[in-house]
Amino acid sequence: MTARTDAVIAGIDRLKLDFLAYLPSSSIAPIIEHFRVRSGLAGSPVAFPISREEEGVGIVGGIALAGRRGAMLIQDNGFGNSLTALTTFAIAYNVPLLVLANTRGGLGEYNSMIHSFSGRVPAMLDVARIPAFLVDRRNSRDDWSGTVAEAYRHAEMTHRPVVVLMDFWAPEPAAGI
Amino acid sequence: MKRIEALEAILPAIEVVPVVVTCAATTRELAALADRPNYLYLLDSMGLAVSVATGLALALGNEPIERVIAIEGDGSLFMNLNALATLGFLAPEKLIVVLLDNGVYGSTADVPTYAGKLNLADMARSVGAVVAVASDREAVVAALDRAFAEPGPHFLHVRIEPGNATCPLFLADPVALKVRFETWLRARLGR
Repeated sequence: MTARTDAVIAGIDRLKLDFLAYLPSSSIAPIIEHFRVRSGLAGSPVAFPISREEEGVGIVGGIALAGRRGAMLIQDNGFGNSLTALTTFAIAYNVPLLVLANTRGGLGEYNSMIHSFSGRVPAMLDVARIPAFLVDRRNSRDDWSGTVAEAYRHAEMTHRPVVVLMDFWAPEPAAGI
Repeated sequence: MKRIEALEAILPAIEVVPVVVTCAATTRELAALADRPNYLYLLDSMGLAVSVATGLALALGNEPIERVIAIEGDGSLFMNLNALATLGFLAPEKLIVVLLDNGVYGSTADVPTYAGKLNLADMARSVGAVVAVASDREAVVAALDRAFAEPGPHFLHVRIEPGNATCPLFLADPVALKVRFETWLRARLGR
């Protein structure tokens, strides 16, 4: 667990979510594990896996339509799988939806292919008119948790899907923020 | 039985429960039969009806809402077959999927779907859904009655013939549909 994963957990805790849908990625695995083992306990959301980001947009959107609080925790290359659902459902129907996505393809990326998609995610979200807020090594712990918490409010107030892009890379030997 | 006849058969049962409706001809036909505020039509999100209904059924699990209905087509479900796996995994007891299976993409020139070879009822059974199969009006009504009486998730596989009824285009604003649906649901929940 790093200071940043802790900060994301703190940010999610502030949201008082009812449900948290997730798809794994190694960067966010500690966050998923934190909520998975506490799923449904007092003060913790019901955390459940989804098989694809597209259906996550539908499920978490349905939760929002029912007046409950939900969010989705994914890796950013999942926007490729979910763009149609985001645009034809969440955007078209004004469904507030918080998507927390760790980034790939930037500094420290070992996968020689993934940058071809993930590197374009901010531009793609911009074209799709989905607000995205980036946190990275330059942000404080409070920035990380505060951005997560405020992004949900932003989604509620604007009646739109909102994305927080979380870049977990840190230069060696720094371990925390 | 044509799609519009199957929809007509389920109309009485879906009068006061949330209903998520798949796009195109299904939406047009249901809206032509009876356009109600508890219907959330997904005008262009092919394959998403079961997912949205799953979210609603999860969120409404402890609320005084009897059932949540997804009206889906075979072509649309094959576009998001993951929804079936997740339905089985999460197993929301209040969810009823009414699958209208005509074996073709009915809104796009009747091009055949996988349903000619693959059985969606078997797939639903394999993920743990309570499955019923119906191909006439009486069987549809009886199966839906049972689905309201017993915990689900339910998967009602309705075999229908290809062919669309002649209905006007459904040109509602999606935001207006969403607000109408939310307003109905809040009132139903007494909020």
